[in-house]
Amino acid sequence: MFMHVFKYRLKCLIRDRDTLFWTAAFPLLLGTMFYFAFGNLMGSSGGFEPVKVAVVNSPEYRNNTYLQLMLGVLSTAGEDQLLDMTLTTESQAQRLLDEGKVAGIITVSADEGVGDSGSSPARLTVTQSGLGQSILKAVLDEYLHTSATATSVLSRGSVDVSELVARLRNRRSYTQQISYSDALPDYMLGYFYALVAMAALYAGLWGMRNTMDIQADLSDKGARRSVAPTHKLAVVMGDWTASLLISFGEMLILLAYLVFALKVDFGDQIGYVLLTCLAGCIAGLSFGTVIGTLFRKSEGIKVATLVASSNLLCFLAGLMYLDMKDIVARKAPVLSYINPAALIADAFYSLYIFDNHRRFFLNIGLLCGFSAVMCFVSFLRLRSEKYASI
Amino acid sequence: MLIRVNNLVKRYGELVALDHFNLEVDEGEILGLLGPNGSGKTTTINCILSLLKYDRGTIEVFGRPMAPDAYESKRNIGIVMQNVAVFEELTVEENIDYFCGMYVDDHRTRRSYVEEAIEFVGLTEFRKFRPKKLSGGLLRRLNIACGIAHKPKLIILDEPTVGVDPQSRNSILEGIKGLNERGATIVYTSHYMEEVEQICSRVVIMDRGKTLASGTKEELKAMINHGETINVELYALKPEDLAHILQMPHVARAEYHDNHLTIRYDDGQHNLLNLLDYLKSRDLSFERVYSQQPTLNDVFLEITGRQLRD
Repeated sequence: MFMHVFKYRLKCLIRDRDTLFWTAAFPLLLGTMFYFAFGNLMGSSGGFEPVKVAVVNSPEYRNNTYLQLMLGVLSTAGEDQLLDMTLTTESQAQRLLDEGKVAGIITVSADEGVGDSGSSPARLTVTQSGLGQSILKAVLDEYLHTSATATSVLSRGSVDVSELVARLRNRRSYTQQISYSDALPDYMLGYFYALVAMAALYAGLWGMRNTMDIQADLSDKGARRSVAPTHKLAVVMGDWTASLLISFGEMLILLAYLVFALKVDFGDQIGYVLLTCLAGCIAGLSFGTVIGTLFRKSEGIKVATLVASSNLLCFLAGLMYLDMKDIVARKAPVLSYINPAALIADAFYSLYIFDNHRRFFLNIGLLCGFSAVMCFVSFLRLRSEKYASI
Repeated sequence: MLIRVNNLVKRYGELVALDHFNLEVDEGEILGLLGPNGSGKTTTINCILSLLKYDRGTIEVFGRPMAPDAYESKRNIGIVMQNVAVFEELTVEENIDYFCGMYVDDHRTRRSYVEEAIEFVGLTEFRKFRPKKLSGGLLRRLNIACGIAHKPKLIILDEPTVGVDPQSRNSILEGIKGLNERGATIVYTSHYMEEVEQICSRVVIMDRGKTLASGTKEELKAMINHGETINVELYALKPEDLAHILQMPHVARAEYHDNHLTIRYDDGQHNLLNLLDYLKSRDLSFERVYSQQPTLNDVFLEITGRQLRD
């Protein structure tokens, strides 16, 4: 009996074009739109671009060997290159700044005077604030602090200059940096993860349809199936398995499209990625089943309720505004733990960014808990075999 | 006895849908459950099928108490819902196979049952069609096929001809008679008295959740105290002629309105002949004359004071 119900349910669902559009085609279209909207931003935050800076090639600068040395080291091509320096005239530097081709101008002029050690106070000129400008300020602050220290030490006399220079060059850090990941952070991935979460929740449309077709008080088909000499559990399981198969298949298609066509990075832990998809589909199906059983309204109202609530959950998970996920995590952390969309998106994110699986399994565990609660609520309603009214 | 309903009470809040309702259905009969909309016919069916909870009473089907898990009884029941209950995404053949498969496990047996059902309802050339491609009448036939394909001993049809054109309706009614001839017991609910009169061997008239009367058509008609009704189109009728007609044998009532003379008789034979003789003797010209035998509607009118379709 299970196979009979399962086979025909599969046929019904595969031929249901309206629901197929929302559960399969719509996420693909939205993913494509995201790609064209964010495509040029994807991966850009992963690599660091050296900060462009213009340095006025004044006599004072040429006399400042320490600053020349420092800027030279920081501008040396390689993985650690911090600055992209252009040595130029004052007027040319100003033009580059005005045109936005450099983040700032470093000037060492006679006005600032020349220190005893041959170093001079330097001036940074910027026209706006930003990451590049902050880096330039930090570099100049470091230079000023070091040169002031050197000047102070040298002014006391009887100091071995070569030893001082060696000590200044050998900085010792008393903190240790530990990286949780080898992955490059990519801000835009969050949108695609939230999109997959949305597709998972839209599987609720299948769950809702199952409910409509099994309950005698919700549809004539439900009444006809209820009078058949078949155990209700066999029918429910047949319907559910077919729905899960369809929604998981749709999820795989979406995943393949995102990974192979749009080059969205889900990391290399494919087994866990698929586990997240499966858990997401189950959460979506059970969520839709609950919406279908909770009230006796028309199918249209139920669909609208399901789509609206799914979209709200996805919004809170950062689908439309990525920072929303962090805002919710800070302002209403409980919501982050019960929002299935946030849990799915965060599971993908934690797989991508962290080398350990602690956070991933927390998300999957919470997602399973959400599904269990939804299934229990559905069971309370679906177990009825006789109704007060039809 | 295939169905025995005893003192069934079903309330929807303050509304009493079934008020100590009793029903017995014998094997091999076509029982008509006749009543106006809202009389409790569908509620009765849903209670018998164990879909609805009820407040009081007992229901036995095939001699056993009816319950949601009375699978053995359910296996021998076929239900044709008031509304068409099929899957839009499945073809005619698939729909019948799907519902038949919920009763019949054996694949080979099921195939032959499905073929028979398709042929029986005349949907052979539409077997690959999806429901949305079918007309209203064909949809109703599909609805019936889905309910009877598994060859049940008891078939319950809940107003299966609502919204169906006369040609399809006749076809459906003939089909139901055919099912009965094959050995199925039929419970047929309708508010169309003509249908019930046409196919049912026994009729239960119900209203407001109660049984008003039951018996064969003849027994029910015998319950009312009038026989045929004669209508005559007359252009003029003097009051003294009307008074004379009222004095004729077996005339219970006579009225003249809008050039129409309506005479109801309580009994008697040759009433029409006597009337025509009188009209000729008085040189009264008339256009059309027709006689109507009492109907179940007259029975309902007599009992409740209301028309069946009020």
